[in-house]
Formats: sequence, C-alpha cells, structure tokens
Amino acid sequence: MIIGIILALVAGALVGLQNIFNSKVNEHTGSWSTTTLVLGMGFIASLIMGLITQGTGMFTLQHMQPWYWFSGVIGVGVVICLVQATKLLGATFAIAIVLTSQLGFALLWDSLGWMGLEKVPFNLNQLLGVLVIVGGILVFKLGGRGEKGGQETAAADKKRQTALGTK
Amino acid sequence: MKGIIFAFIGGACITLQGVANARISQDIGTWQAATITQLTGFIMALAILLFVRDGKKQGFKKVNPLYLTGGALAAFIIFSEVTAIQHVGVTLTISALLIAQLFMTFMIDSNGWFGVVKQKMRLPQFIGIGMMIAGVLILKL
Repeated sequence: MIIGIILALVAGALVGLQNIFNSKVNEHTGSWSTTTLVLGMGFIASLIMGLITQGTGMFTLQHMQPWYWFSGVIGVGVVICLVQATKLLGATFAIAIVLTSQLGFALLWDSLGWMGLEKVPFNLNQLLGVLVIVGGILVFKLGGRGEKGGQETAAADKKRQTALGTK
Repeated sequence: MKGIIFAFIGGACITLQGVANARISQDIGTWQAATITQLTGFIMALAILLFVRDGKKQGFKKVNPLYLTGGALAAFIIFSEVTAIQHVGVTLTISALLIAQLFMTFMIDSNGWFGVVKQKMRLPQFIGIGMMIAGVLILKL
C-alpha cells in the first residue's frame, strides 16, 4: 500500500520535472520535434534499464498481443488533444480540464475493473474524494495569484502545454 | 466547446496510457511495456514530424543538453506509475501523482530553478494542495 503511494509520488515529481525540461526544448523547436525527441529518449532509457535488470531475457515477450504494439499511439493522441485544447482554451483552463478528466476516468476504470486490472469497487467515499481533489485542482490552477501572477502562470502553463502528454 | 472536448479526451488518454501500460506489463514485463509503447510512439511522432516539419533542426543545438535528455525520465515515470497502479489502483495512483506533479512544478516556479521565471506561491495554491491531500485521505477512509 505505502510503496504504491510512494511510487506514484515519485512518478508525479518526475512528470513535473520533465514538463519543465520539455518546455525548454519546445521553446527552441516545435511540438512534434519535442515529442519525437522525448519518446526516443524514453525508449532508449527503458531499453537500457530492461537490459541491465534482465539481460537478454528482456527480449522474451510472453503472451504478447498484437495490440500492445499500438499502445504508443495513445501518447500521440495526447499531444494532438493538448495542443488543440491549449490553442482553443488557453493553457491554464485547458490543463485544469485535462487534470480533472484524468481523475474522472481513473475512477471510472477502477470501478469497471477494465483491462483485467483488479476491480476497486465504487463507493461514496471515492466519489467525494475525487470531487474534493478536483476542487483543489481548480483552486490551485484558477485561483488568482495577483494580476501579474495570473498572467505569468498562464504564460508558464502555455510553454508547458505539450510537455504534459509526452511522458 | 471544441477545446473542452479536446482537453477532456486528452485527459482520458493520459489515464488510458497508464492503464494500458499496467495491463501490458502484466503480460510482458514493465520495462518491456515501457520500451514498446515508447518505440511505437516515437515512430508515429517521427512520421508526423516528417509530414508537418514544425521544428527547426538547429533549434536543438540551442538547448542545454540536460534538458534534451529529459525524455529519459519517462522510463522511470512509466515504471513507477505502472507499479503503483498494480499496488493501489488507478484512482489513488493518479491522485498522488497529480499532487506530486503540481507540487514539484510549484517548487520549481517559486524557487526559479532551471532558469524559469520566479513566481510566488499564494494562498489559493496552498489551499488547492491542501484540498487535494484531503481528497486522497477521503479516498482512503
């Protein structure tokens, strides 16, 4: 239990760090150049880690299903959606909706036990918990930071728009 | 309205990525899943890049090499996220992940690390983080 939460926190901290790095790349190139580089780097790092921990056993793919090869397409869909949403809504508002939607679908898929994952039964606590978290996200993202601060937040968010999706 | 739909689907896809990776990991192993999903994503993104040509190649030379390798972090992000989902489920994983993500971003912003413009944390941001943590506690009641 506690190990799961710690790993999720580590993942989140790394996502925050990566968003900053990606936005730095994005400043000098474009969304797709950044996305291509980021996914390429992630591929190389994963391959190396696999080889270090498992040697050539890394290449034994048991129970491989054909659709697994196409899972990377989801990440590309993320980038397309985020770029469009940011263009149409502005970054801060777009990100607030993205984060909310992430949590909503997490709850949905947990309660459906989708894709052979262990089913986490839906109950009122979970709904309430998610609603409070979403409220927190909205206060955090849309809550003013002074007039100038608000503009700076929006500018910083804008730079980080695509970065979100490329993990 | 169109923008809201894009943002909504985008969020769904981010969570779907985690769920799909967790599912694939069960069968072929976590590092294998991370490798395959990023390989196919890389190939697709490269194909799109060749089609739209949005980047100026010289641009990469202007970026600090540290930032260019940031993508490598994704290996550890996917590994941690997948393992977390398998241990505590999707909702709790995504909740904790988002809290740490927003907190990290604001640590960087308020300290001006990595040359970002320094921004102050104000009351709404503290209240927001507090509400998110409270929400996670409610989830676990």
